[in-house]
Amino acid sequence: MRQFTLPDLGEGLEEAEIVSWYVSEGDHVVTDQPLLSVETDKAVVEIPSPSNGRVAHLFGTKGDIVKVGMPLVEFAEGAERDTGTVVGELGGGEAAQAAGIHSARPTGQELRVFPAVRALASKLGVALELVDGTGAGGTITRADVERAARSMSHSGPAEPLRGMRRAMAQRMAASHAEIAPATVTDEADIDDWRQGEDATIRLARAIAAACKAEPALNAWYDSATGERRLIERVDLGIAVDTEGGLIVPVLRNVAERGVPDLRAGLDRLRADAIARSIPPEELRGATITLSNFGMIGGRFANLIIVPPQTAIVGAGRISQRVVVHRGQPAVRRTLPLSLTFDHRVVTGGEAARFLVALKSDLERIS
Amino acid sequence: MASKRVANEGLPVIAHFEVRRRNYLASDGSIDRPLPPFATDAKLLVGLYRAMVLLRLFDRKAVALQRTGRLGTYAVSLGQEAVSVGIASAMREEDVLLPSYRDNGALIWRGVKLEEILLFWGGDERGNRFSGPVHDFPFCVPVGSQAPHAAGVAYAFKLRREPRVAVCMFGDGATSKGDVYEAMNFAGVHKLPVVFVATNNQWAISVPLRLQTGCETLAQKAIAAGFAGEQIDGCDAVAVHAAAEEAIAAARDGKGPRFIEAVTYRLGDHTTSDDASRYRSADEVQAHWKEEPITRLRTYLVGQKMWTKADEEQLAAECHERIEAAVERYLTMEPRRPETIFDHLYADLPEAYAVQRRELAGENDA
Amino acid sequence: MPEVTLVEAINLALARAMEDDPGVLVLGEDVGVDGGVFRATVGLQKRFGSERVLDTPLAELLISGLCVGMAVQGLKPVGEIQFMGFLYPCLDQLVNHASRMRNRTQGRVTCPMVLRTPHGAGIRAPEHHSESTEAMLAHIPGLRVVMPSSPERAYGLLLAAIRDPDPVVFLEPTRLYRAVKGEVEDNGESLPLDLAFVQKEGRDITLISWGAMLKETMAAADALSAEGIAAEVIDLATIKPYDEDTLLGSVAKTGRCVIVHEAARTGGFGAEIAALIAERGLSSLLAPVTRVTGYDTVVPMARLEQHYMPSVERIVTAARKVCQFS
Repeated sequence: MRQFTLPDLGEGLEEAEIVSWYVSEGDHVVTDQPLLSVETDKAVVEIPSPSNGRVAHLFGTKGDIVKVGMPLVEFAEGAERDTGTVVGELGGGEAAQAAGIHSARPTGQELRVFPAVRALASKLGVALELVDGTGAGGTITRADVERAARSMSHSGPAEPLRGMRRAMAQRMAASHAEIAPATVTDEADIDDWRQGEDATIRLARAIAAACKAEPALNAWYDSATGERRLIERVDLGIAVDTEGGLIVPVLRNVAERGVPDLRAGLDRLRADAIARSIPPEELRGATITLSNFGMIGGRFANLIIVPPQTAIVGAGRISQRVVVHRGQPAVRRTLPLSLTFDHRVVTGGEAARFLVALKSDLERIS
Repeated sequence: MASKRVANEGLPVIAHFEVRRRNYLASDGSIDRPLPPFATDAKLLVGLYRAMVLLRLFDRKAVALQRTGRLGTYAVSLGQEAVSVGIASAMREEDVLLPSYRDNGALIWRGVKLEEILLFWGGDERGNRFSGPVHDFPFCVPVGSQAPHAAGVAYAFKLRREPRVAVCMFGDGATSKGDVYEAMNFAGVHKLPVVFVATNNQWAISVPLRLQTGCETLAQKAIAAGFAGEQIDGCDAVAVHAAAEEAIAAARDGKGPRFIEAVTYRLGDHTTSDDASRYRSADEVQAHWKEEPITRLRTYLVGQKMWTKADEEQLAAECHERIEAAVERYLTMEPRRPETIFDHLYADLPEAYAVQRRELAGENDA
Repeated sequence: MPEVTLVEAINLALARAMEDDPGVLVLGEDVGVDGGVFRATVGLQKRFGSERVLDTPLAELLISGLCVGMAVQGLKPVGEIQFMGFLYPCLDQLVNHASRMRNRTQGRVTCPMVLRTPHGAGIRAPEHHSESTEAMLAHIPGLRVVMPSSPERAYGLLLAAIRDPDPVVFLEPTRLYRAVKGEVEDNGESLPLDLAFVQKEGRDITLISWGAMLKETMAAADALSAEGIAAEVIDLATIKPYDEDTLLGSVAKTGRCVIVHEAARTGGFGAEIAALIAERGLSSLLAPVTRVTGYDTVVPMARLEQHYMPSVERIVTAARKVCQFS
């Protein structure tokens, strides 16, 4: 219910007498429509409606004295006056937030290390993941960190593997995981080689000859599909030790190239490898690999085959040995040979025959 | 077979009480009974009249400010102006006023500035740091909780042998509170120099008097506390001043506490957020307009040739000017900086809170 | 120097304050003729008269409201509420008036009152006589909450409270009233408010407590030192505003913290201290901040009361566990 009271008539006038009503109870009125006239000491004044509405009740009749602030008219509609409070202002009308999903109780996480211990580890350079906690609930104690720091001080700093070393680590791990290696060894009597013979070239040509004799070792095997491909062309991977690490550039089509051509190719490969300017294509596609580790040292070795290859030949250090030559003991120059083959794909017989062919070719007088 | 008992059995009456009702001017301003001596003091009576008019006009302006969003919730004194003005008019400066939140008339009489009242209701604590006697208490919002304070103040006066009186004002609702009874009880035990004034405007928000008490008068609650209570016509400014003068003098004189119930009517809403038409009829309100105090006193003054129309116009102009000036000062007052909310929290702000203060002031870096 | 009990120290402080300042009043139920149900005010009425030491009607709200009125008028009232269990009607006067008089009048009106009341359980009293709800009061801005743990601190802190220009609730550990004796020189010297006291120094773990629980906490510290754990014990003394710096400094030194209070766990004042350490002392922690508290129950009546209270054993066990973390 809205009430309209006698407004301030101004000039210090406190009251007025009702002269006549212009509206009746139940009437609809609009803003500024005259509701009644009142008489003050000064004049007869018309009083307009302050708003639209329906008249519910009229207060007073002709002749009544009304004071300023006293109710004159009560309007029917509008509950606007209900503020819904007795002090202050209540806002309203905003939609409540959608009810959230009732979350399951979260499980507590064990705090393995407390802040002060964490700070200590950071200060001492200790990697917390490497420390075993001996405190209550497996927490890492100060003593644990200090102990770890002491043991770490005997070792060099941790350095992450990068580049070629990283590639090697990944390659060797992959190979080890997949291949079933077996190794067979022998020695070639090369005492009859002429002076200045290039061992690597001889080895390359000998491998090509062995591949011809026993093609099973110049093949690719895809363990995922279980398929083997015998390859006609011999593209020989040659392991080169550089400052940065091991790289294996590929000498293409060894079987059909002449010695000068092979030599030139090999020299170029070596130079590029050391200069680290070998393009990536030159490192791919080997069908069999030669590791001439003997150039540094060592006799026989179990070598790592790089899939999809099925074999790798290792040549050890050429040295003089006491052997039986033509039925008599003699001091002869020998070249140790190791053949590691993937026994999933290559039989022992194939490997042995390959090795025989290899040795035989090496023992030929050039 | 139960024998019939004679009512009272002739038991001796050991205590009874009487409550007298004081009034001088009837509703229409005519004289009901011989006026007290001060009634010939035109200056005093006119002073009461001027103060009531100022209060009513100030209230009207305050409501207008609230309706236009420049003041917070406000409580008008419409209809009960004579009580706060009349009570204050009988106090000395060294007496202590403990007002409720609807006693602006008393505050203004005792020197509180209009703009300070606006500051309070406008939501600024500077409104409680008001002018007027420094020992007066600020507005009290928790109803009746200032009654024990009044007893404490009066006790201090008695202890120090000071001829001063505490005047505690509250409404009819407050008399239902334990606080008020506990204070009155204590005052009665120690015969303290305190006057309790209950402005019975017959409404506690929407709760009418008949639901507030089963007593015929509020004044008789003093009897339970061991001292005299008087009911007065709170719309008769002469009666209010007379009763206050007498009670305060008695208290000052060591005669103990007094209780004055000033019966009046709350012609306005409880506050600007309240709509009284929800719980009482406009007819009832209109009927009580016939008793209102300003018209009554004016009628008397005019009849006694103590007041003219010219005076009325001049008063209206003066009030208007004074109120407008105060509103201007209020609206243009420099706002407080936010961090001042920490000021005066303790005598010296502890560092823990000084940190927060700096944060609010934007002085902390983190 | 004479040895006095805690309640005797209170008596000395009240007498001293009343002697020095004629504005100091004592009021409450049974404080005058009877000298207080714990004899805290014994002899005062005889010495200072019934106007300054008054027996009020049975009305706690009134007592606190009288204090407000008197304090605003410039007196220094010291109201006694017979037990903390009866303090609650005073909350209106404390929260709505005493604590905010100064602030809401921007300094025009101030309220230098003191309300004293016995605090805590452990005397096998009937129900409602064993309350320890200091956390409720510590929440109120503008108030001070003080709790001594010894006769010496009771004397010095009560004098400080009475002399302070702002309202103070002074909580007296009931079960220590006569259980502890200490040397107290009646020299009128107050102890500082808002500061914690380091009761015992140590490097391994910080134990924080207040009031009667200091007794158990110190006993726990002794037990721990026999196991090679050097505990530092701090008496908070002023609960509000509390000494953040001393607490944080100790935790920075030891890295481990156990807070002990007999009040119920949830929302107890230990939670505030734990939050402070989490906010500003986390990096020095070697273990979680742990609280040893009363349970979240109503304080049991006498038969089961001792199971509610934190025992020396509970404190020691908690401290040991904390020390095992890092």
